[in-house]
Amino acid sequence: MNSRDRVLAALKREPVDQTPVCNPTSVATVELMDLVDAPFPFANRDAEGMARLAATSYTELGFDSIMPVFSIIQESSALGCKMQWEQKDNWPTVRMSEPIWKDAEDIRIPNDFLNHPDIVCVLDAIRILRKEYGNEVAIIGKTMGPWTLGYHCFGVEPFLLLSLDDPGKMMVCLDRMKEATVQFGLAQIDAGVDALTLPDHATGDLVSGEYYKRFLMDLHSEFVETIPVPLILHICGRTIDRMDYIARTGMAAFHFDSKNSPCEAMDTVNNRISLVGNINNPETLFAKDPIDVRNEVFANLEAGVQMVGPECAIPLQTRIENLIEIPHAVREWHQDCAVVT
Amino acid sequence: MAKLSDIQNVFIRQEIEEYLERPEEISRNIELFSRAKVSMQEIAAALIEGEDDKVDQLTRNALDQGIEALEIMDDGLISGMGIVGIKFREAMIFVPEVLACARAMKAGMKHIEPILSDSGVEPIAKVLMGTVKGDLHDIGKNLCIMMLRGSGFDVVDLGVDTSEDEFIDAIETHQASILGMSALLTTTMPNMGKTIEALIDADMRDDVAIMVGGAPVTQEFSDDMGADGYGKDALSCVTLAKKLVAEIVQ
Repeated sequence: MNSRDRVLAALKREPVDQTPVCNPTSVATVELMDLVDAPFPFANRDAEGMARLAATSYTELGFDSIMPVFSIIQESSALGCKMQWEQKDNWPTVRMSEPIWKDAEDIRIPNDFLNHPDIVCVLDAIRILRKEYGNEVAIIGKTMGPWTLGYHCFGVEPFLLLSLDDPGKMMVCLDRMKEATVQFGLAQIDAGVDALTLPDHATGDLVSGEYYKRFLMDLHSEFVETIPVPLILHICGRTIDRMDYIARTGMAAFHFDSKNSPCEAMDTVNNRISLVGNINNPETLFAKDPIDVRNEVFANLEAGVQMVGPECAIPLQTRIENLIEIPHAVREWHQDCAVVT
Repeated sequence: MAKLSDIQNVFIRQEIEEYLERPEEISRNIELFSRAKVSMQEIAAALIEGEDDKVDQLTRNALDQGIEALEIMDDGLISGMGIVGIKFREAMIFVPEVLACARAMKAGMKHIEPILSDSGVEPIAKVLMGTVKGDLHDIGKNLCIMMLRGSGFDVVDLGVDTSEDEFIDAIETHQASILGMSALLTTTMPNMGKTIEALIDADMRDDVAIMVGGAPVTQEFSDDMGADGYGKDALSCVTLAKKLVAEIVQ
């Protein structure tokens, strides 16, 4: 099996020769930016730079997938949000304190949404990567869910308050914003992705599992029907209380956070969805050593997690040696298993 | 010792019975609400329900009746927010509900704050609060600020995306005794450590006690980067700030 075969099989919970290593969010770091001369913010806005930096996850780190969309803001930029593109050592962000929408009636997906330079950049980067790497490595795209778009376009606080003050209107807002999710997802499929990450930050630190069920579960099922590639849902934080609902959506995989134990997560989803994760970013990958990374990789493999990788987009100052340790540890674990059997 | 039945407001009694589990918190809240006026219990109940219009009206009524602003703040608003904080800590409610309660608290505080600031009451200490560089999230920080102000601290809000230099300048300008840093993202958390290093480099680390918080932040992370304390939520932020002040005084 090559890397792409491995990832696609794992997304279907089919047998693999070796657990794939994958980060469906981002592995961009300052070290990798220097290595290929593709620093932020250039690599977030230039297709060649984006492709060059994204490819390092395969060429330099030995991961089985490439994710060219490093941030979560390309669509929000195209929708008209005020952006802060930052510098090499910081993530671009949306100025959520200056929201562009206040009401459901304000929501407009521009007719030329897919022609916006920050959208075109992603689509072109995917084409470059597909041309360069053919079918040897999985190329994963990313399209933001409507909950995350709501934070960006309405502001986090007004958006969350709307969910309490007028749940009906909240549903209307989500329904209108989903158009952006679908359009961008389909365009990335046309450009050549094998799968799509769908981050939708109904995180355990902000809202309850019941909120997920009430506002998002059906919408996410709808995405599975309308976007014809495997979808990887990403939600940060403790999410055990919503994993059962997530497993019911038909999504191919769920990218889970280190706040959830791999065994508990595997038990909860009960083979209804693949899991990707969940090496801790701030304490382990950023601050500890390869031995600590290896221990967390082993914990995931022993729990049966289908794809191993960081829990979320990694801090930009993360050392390469810690990232390289993930595929090293996976290979070592599988070799040891082979010896035992 | 006061009993639950001493609290006249049925809703408050139910809240204590249904949501509070720690014995010391149950007895503290029973003591607190049983000695509070019925009108203060009503303010607290409306706040817990997130009814900002009602809190606004009840606060104005209480002031019109001659009740002291400090009493309204302590026995009505802060005590109500105390129950909200416990429910949030125990994951019985989540951020949308807390935001609604915070909105209700603001509705009451807008009548109280001008009176208190005119009265010349000395603050417990001055606290600088900011979200670190690269991070534009401020809900948690704002909740902490609201609770700190309600608890008698003078808080300077440095806003979001606060650079190391901005933190340093603010410490020099405001002569604060506590610096609070917040981060919501695992990608921006390291900027807390960088700020602490910048303070060490500027020979200013001993000028302030540093507390940190935010959804992905942990006690271990706080210890590793050399902060003086970690607060999991707005309630523990206030407790921590008081502890740090006590340590400074010693």
